[in-house]
Amino acid sequence: MKRLGVYICHCGGNISDYVDVEEVRKAVEHEEGVVLAKTTMFACSDSNQNDMVSDIKKHKLDGVVVASCSPKLHLVTFRNVTERGDLNKYTYVHANIREQASWAHSDDKQGATGKAIHLVKAAIAKSRYAEPLYPNQIEAEKTIAVIGAGIAGLKAAASISDKNINVILIEKENRVGGHAAELGDLFMSDEKGYDLVNRVYNDIVQRENVTILTGSEVISSKGSIGDFTLKIRKRPQNAGDPVETMEIKVGSMVVATGFESYIPKEGEFDYVVNENVIALPEFKLLVDKSTGDRLIYKGKTIKNIVYIYCVGSRQNEGGNTYCSRFCCTSVIHTSIEAKKKFKNIYNIHLNRGIRTYGKQELLYAESLKMGDIYLQFDQTTPPEITSNGKNSIVTVTDILSEGKKMSVEADLIVLVTGMVPRSDQSVGTMLKIPKGRDKFYNEVHIKLRPVETVIDGITIAGACQGPKNISESVNSALSAATKSFSYVSKGTLETEPIIAVINEDSCSWCGKCLEACPFDAIEKRNVNSREIAVVNSSVCKGCGMCAPVCPPDAINLIGYRNEEIISMIDVLA
Amino acid sequence: MSSENKTIKFDALIVGAGIAGGEAALNLANSGYKVLLVEKERSIGGKMILLSKVFPTLDCSACITTPKVSEIARHKNITIFTESEVTDISKTADNDFIAHITKKPRYVHVEDCTACQLCEKACPVSVRDQYQYGLIGRKAAFIPFSIANPKAAAIDIENCTLCGACEKVCPTSCIDFTMETEYFELHAKTVIMASGFSLFDPLEIPRYGYERYKNVITSMQMEREIAPTRPYNTILRPGDGKVPDKIAYVLCVGSRDQTVGNPICSQICCMYSIKQAQLLMGALPMADVTIYYINIRSFGKGFEEFYQQAKGMGVNFVKGKVGKISELENGNLILRYEDISEGVVKEAEHDMVVLSVGAKSNPSVANIFQEGRLKFDPYNFIAQSDLMGSPSKTSIEGVFVAGTATGPMDIPDSILSAGSASSDAISYLIQHETV
Repeated sequence: MKRLGVYICHCGGNISDYVDVEEVRKAVEHEEGVVLAKTTMFACSDSNQNDMVSDIKKHKLDGVVVASCSPKLHLVTFRNVTERGDLNKYTYVHANIREQASWAHSDDKQGATGKAIHLVKAAIAKSRYAEPLYPNQIEAEKTIAVIGAGIAGLKAAASISDKNINVILIEKENRVGGHAAELGDLFMSDEKGYDLVNRVYNDIVQRENVTILTGSEVISSKGSIGDFTLKIRKRPQNAGDPVETMEIKVGSMVVATGFESYIPKEGEFDYVVNENVIALPEFKLLVDKSTGDRLIYKGKTIKNIVYIYCVGSRQNEGGNTYCSRFCCTSVIHTSIEAKKKFKNIYNIHLNRGIRTYGKQELLYAESLKMGDIYLQFDQTTPPEITSNGKNSIVTVTDILSEGKKMSVEADLIVLVTGMVPRSDQSVGTMLKIPKGRDKFYNEVHIKLRPVETVIDGITIAGACQGPKNISESVNSALSAATKSFSYVSKGTLETEPIIAVINEDSCSWCGKCLEACPFDAIEKRNVNSREIAVVNSSVCKGCGMCAPVCPPDAINLIGYRNEEIISMIDVLA
Repeated sequence: MSSENKTIKFDALIVGAGIAGGEAALNLANSGYKVLLVEKERSIGGKMILLSKVFPTLDCSACITTPKVSEIARHKNITIFTESEVTDISKTADNDFIAHITKKPRYVHVEDCTACQLCEKACPVSVRDQYQYGLIGRKAAFIPFSIANPKAAAIDIENCTLCGACEKVCPTSCIDFTMETEYFELHAKTVIMASGFSLFDPLEIPRYGYERYKNVITSMQMEREIAPTRPYNTILRPGDGKVPDKIAYVLCVGSRDQTVGNPICSQICCMYSIKQAQLLMGALPMADVTIYYINIRSFGKGFEEFYQQAKGMGVNFVKGKVGKISELENGNLILRYEDISEGVVKEAEHDMVVLSVGAKSNPSVANIFQEGRLKFDPYNFIAQSDLMGSPSKTSIEGVFVAGTATGPMDIPDSILSAGSASSDAISYLIQHETV
């Protein structure tokens, strides 16, 4: 009989406010094989980890169960603890009594406690069957693909190349630089957007370990961390040239596919239907490109500019609910530039609360000092645009002056638009990167693993993860580069041993497992002149989707074998 | 003094072991570099380890921080000096920094201490507990806080009466009053400044009555009141121990305020106030929570939705700057504020007021580098020499900056900034490798 140690975590009240952890401890301490049952304030704390290691040795434990938060957070933490106690780390079993008991049943303390007891007993049952497992070693290709050559992709490529790892930078457009390459003056910097892009591009273009493929798209991806095979299609440079396709092998990928600017719908604040209405990127371009001492738009000298904020951002449920974070500062910066560059410019900002966070506040202060007018409207009463026959009139209900209605004649109306996810999400779909509520790509954990995705070996950088300004994009790109670098730098990688295995004798190829597999890890193969399913161990994620659909029950998931699961079900039933 | 210096060598020196310094240390250590992490407090984990839950996901902060801290503490490539300060750093060659480090004595041998707390019980001296932001007291022989790392007793020698009571009860004889300050001369190839921020001191705004009025507290004190390792095990107003039921938040205390010399926005206060308001609504379902604000800046991923959620839960948002706070006899507080939506000056009574204090620079690093070679911005944050291209680069090649040492930042941005700084530091180390 295995000697088991059980730890029940208070999670500093997250669990113990609703689950009577002492009750749980008492309920499991006499379970078969349990030689030690303890409660602890924070199971994950360093001091408790040390206690666990010494308990394992002192009580000669050969199995450990921790009942705490989601295994997503701390399965690895406690596996490592058991490893330090000289146990095989895969014998560790985790019970989630926070997300599944205390948080889910905060209105029913007794019920939550009862459920927690069941969950811990089930984990104990599994623990009796848990076997030692050993991770698989695989070779890691020392090349990283960066998809998207905007500022994030360029910087990620530079950073990986600096670390003596080969980079293949893949860009769909015929030029690099993305949105930043279209920008002139940048806020918080003296450098122009296109100069910044040129500086970074010129730095890497001659490097031996950097390959830049413009006009190119990734059309398929196979394999897994350490060993991805990408098929790339390069558009012909000249008409008549053949389409080039090539295959590359990489150990990791940085996805930096960026964002799109929100384009207002026709008629949204008169967009398209009124020629005096333009969106922020168009206005930025106009200010950057115009010369002379007057601002001219469509032959007309512009004096009064009215800015309508949060167009396409901070909408109600169903729309874009998020704040695009860069637009307040961007438009204020551009309006200041316009005023400095051209004569007789009057800026009127119709906003929903200015969000010039951090040092960007100084730009807002400067704009106020220059005499710009800021009026604030509520989302429920957006500004209205009418015409006096000659000019556009914008009317706003200003909450800064007791809801007074004010009207202003506008020569130009700028819709302050934000960032939206790329409409072409084929890269994400192909690589199976999950998206968040806002449709941007999702990280694993915004604080613990902000650039990693649930797909091992694939990181995300820049605004494809959510709106960011240039500096923030670069920080995220360099973080992603470091993470991807860490996967391949040693040349070898350890992968989880928890994968599906097929009993060749019982399998008689029906294809059900192939349909169920979300990772393309199963293929039909002829073994001993019989057609059976074979699992590609480096691609299999151990998700278990295949096991229950197999009619002859020929699939077992290592670490979750049938007898382990059945023992748990017996307890829970 | 220099004759006592012990010479040590590391690849990287990281100044500050908060969440940014820790993250940077892990990145470097996992790439095989030897890191010295220097922290002036008695525990690593910075301010984050003292927080309750964190926005916008409401993850329990300790649950995220403690395992990170534990990973940092036991990494074979990371050496940690707590209660230590880097007194000066100079660059001698492209690849060689020399730093002097003062390591204060803890008067406890950490490796022998079992954190049994007997010394704490025996110590007759009580002083304010800085890790609970003064809400309660602690002893002069004490464990900094329950999830501190290292979790070991320390002697606060400034308040200690040298009575010896702790020494007598210590079962492992780990208390040692003969320990002395140690001095080190460190050779490192690169430096990451992760020296963090300091909180605005609300005493600079006397009209808010902080410390004069017992029921006016700072947001960091409220953070402690709602943290898992909270001092009172419930939410109380400090004046009389009453459970508050009408709580006010005053935003932009010490931020966006030229009169206190800090015109910039601290970019975390809106969100942490909204988070605290949500947690208070959960802990005290009958309480009213009102947030007095200028603008709500919920700009990060999931932040705006978090703000809307707070509105949906019934948190009151009042657009108006609080001019003055005064105290009634029963300890309640009168807030005089301009209600901007109605354009009138109003007064409101609350039984507890939380000042959402801003983030300022950490003054202790201002003179570390010789001859002022490390440049600072006008607000004494470390200046970023290439904000767009390489945000972690400073005015000295080979010195990088991570987290709030460059300016106010939330936790997700700090971690990305630390990733960026460690990325540039690793590149620098590889590019300057001498064969």
